[in-house]
Amino acid sequence: MMKAVLRHLLRNRRRSILTLLAVLIPVYFLVFMFGFTNGVVSDLFTTATRIDTGHFQVRHVEKRGMGSARPLLQDADVWAAAVHEMEGVEWTTTRLDLPALASSGDRSQTVYVQGVIPEEVAPISNIENLILDGRYIRSDDHGAVIGQELSQLLSISVGSDLVLLGAHPETGVGVLKIPVVGIYDAPLSEMGKGLIQVPLETARQLARSPRAATAIVARVEGVTGVGDLGKIEAITAQLAGQLPESLEVVDWRELAPQVKSYMSILGPALTSVGVVFFGLGSLVVLNTLYLAVKERTRELGLIISLGASRGRVIRMFLMEAGVLAVLGSVWGALVGAGLILGIEALGGVPIPGEYGAFARAIGMSTELHLAIRWPQLLLAAATMSLVAILAAWLPAYQASKLEPVEAMRYVE
Amino acid sequence: MSNNPLIQTMDLKKNYITEALETPALRGVSTELHAGEFTAVAGPSGSGKSTLLHLLGGLDRPTGGDILLEGRPMSKLSKDELAKLRLTNLGFVFQAYNLIPVLTVLENTAFVLELQGVVRRERIKRAKKVLAELGIDQYADQYPNRISGGQQQRVAVARAVVAEPSIVLADEPTANLDTAMSLDLIDLMKRLNREKGSTFFFSTHDSRLLDRVNRLITLVDGKVEQDESRDAS
Repeated sequence: MMKAVLRHLLRNRRRSILTLLAVLIPVYFLVFMFGFTNGVVSDLFTTATRIDTGHFQVRHVEKRGMGSARPLLQDADVWAAAVHEMEGVEWTTTRLDLPALASSGDRSQTVYVQGVIPEEVAPISNIENLILDGRYIRSDDHGAVIGQELSQLLSISVGSDLVLLGAHPETGVGVLKIPVVGIYDAPLSEMGKGLIQVPLETARQLARSPRAATAIVARVEGVTGVGDLGKIEAITAQLAGQLPESLEVVDWRELAPQVKSYMSILGPALTSVGVVFFGLGSLVVLNTLYLAVKERTRELGLIISLGASRGRVIRMFLMEAGVLAVLGSVWGALVGAGLILGIEALGGVPIPGEYGAFARAIGMSTELHLAIRWPQLLLAAATMSLVAILAAWLPAYQASKLEPVEAMRYVE
Repeated sequence: MSNNPLIQTMDLKKNYITEALETPALRGVSTELHAGEFTAVAGPSGSGKSTLLHLLGGLDRPTGGDILLEGRPMSKLSKDELAKLRLTNLGFVFQAYNLIPVLTVLENTAFVLELQGVVRRERIKRAKKVLAELGIDQYADQYPNRISGGQQQRVAVARAVVAEPSIVLADEPTANLDTAMSLDLIDLMKRLNREKGSTFFFSTHDSRLLDRVNRLITLVDGKVEQDESRDAS
């Protein structure tokens, strides 16, 4: 029967090609869409976890009345060492963030002071690479790097003194006078106006708490994109069980909720697109098989009159549809995957305009990289094959219901 | 020839109903066909020849009366049972050859055996044997559109007899053939009847063929006008 099915398909080349395309195009489009959105999500995830949050953080649980300050985590170095020792943790650093008032002469600006270990912070901060004037901070001095916008607001430059007035609800008010050692070119003006980086020890003095931090920031080994989220989940789950009640593990989902939101709408959006495309594809399959039944009334009447069962006639049509559906789906998936691989071989899709400039400024790739996830590819191809075969069932069933004598009269 | 009829029709009636009209095609045909017979049904156009063949072949349902095939009433059979009956007990030859265009001569001949579930090697062997008996084995690998009308009709006969059915029904098998080819085909059917004992029942309006048959049933206006035995040449 398969031989006859293949010959039928070859005999009606135009119709077969049309059906093949009706199956191929939705699969190709979806595979490409998957690749594109995988790339966008991966870039969002990487950006969020690279420029600020890390893959997860250990923090003190939220307290009331903290305003914009975060509660202090005492003995932070002990906890940082414990997290760092965990299997699968690639990198950790300790950070102390607190709101402050930055002043010089008679000018002031509210800022957010980020106390970091300068030698460790590169995996989540690109400020060192954005220095316009002066140098980046070092652990062995008390200096600050400020954004270009803040230097203009306060009319200060490298070498000027900056007075920081830190007010933490747990420890009270701290005041420090430190020199500006560097000015950086912020990718966003709000960042340049409001973010100051100082060594961790300086921030601890400002917070009047020598062993404290607000977060232990960590990255997990082998995480290159959203396909590796399971590794983060495994470690955060393990760590959550080991921490005292006063501490919590916060993963990237909470730290970068915009990425989580985007991912949560992506699934339904892609499903909707898929339904529309699969629907259109199946309608074409339905239509072409109806035409096939019509064109072959003579032959069907003959086959039925010779004694073919209804099941045999249905099988015959479903096999024809199945061959086209599987071939179309596989080709569609290969064309989609080929296009993605081709684009990647050429270096990805350049990110245009200010988005590209922003990506460059924060040290991210200025190209969008499309990514193939093989389960998605298989899902798109298998779903379209199934939908096309289901669409073929109705005309196949109608063909099986043909009365042989009517079909023969049609012939004669 | 056995005394038990292979097929028996009892007051067989068929009316075709259109929107405004009910047209009787058969008005009560009662007859018997026995195994080994070589019978023709003749009559003018509209006399009910094709209708009778369709009913005998289980391709259509009668309006009244019944058909007994080897004693079993066909009216009681479901659609699927009728399909099985056609597959195992009946062979068909149609006026327009009706070969499957995407299958070769050999595959067309073996098609009924394939429907019966005969294994490939066996059906190829049997189909080749029949093609050789009918003198068309040299066309085994050709597609139907590459051979003449007469050769196509021989293939149709090969397909009808390959599964050795109880009876071969042929509806105007020579209608599309010239005189020489028509006589040739009827002689071929006659040879199969004589040598293999195949039972044939065919319709024709060609009087030149009628001296080949053992029995002639003449239909006029849906009724048997004459049923005569003949000395075939």
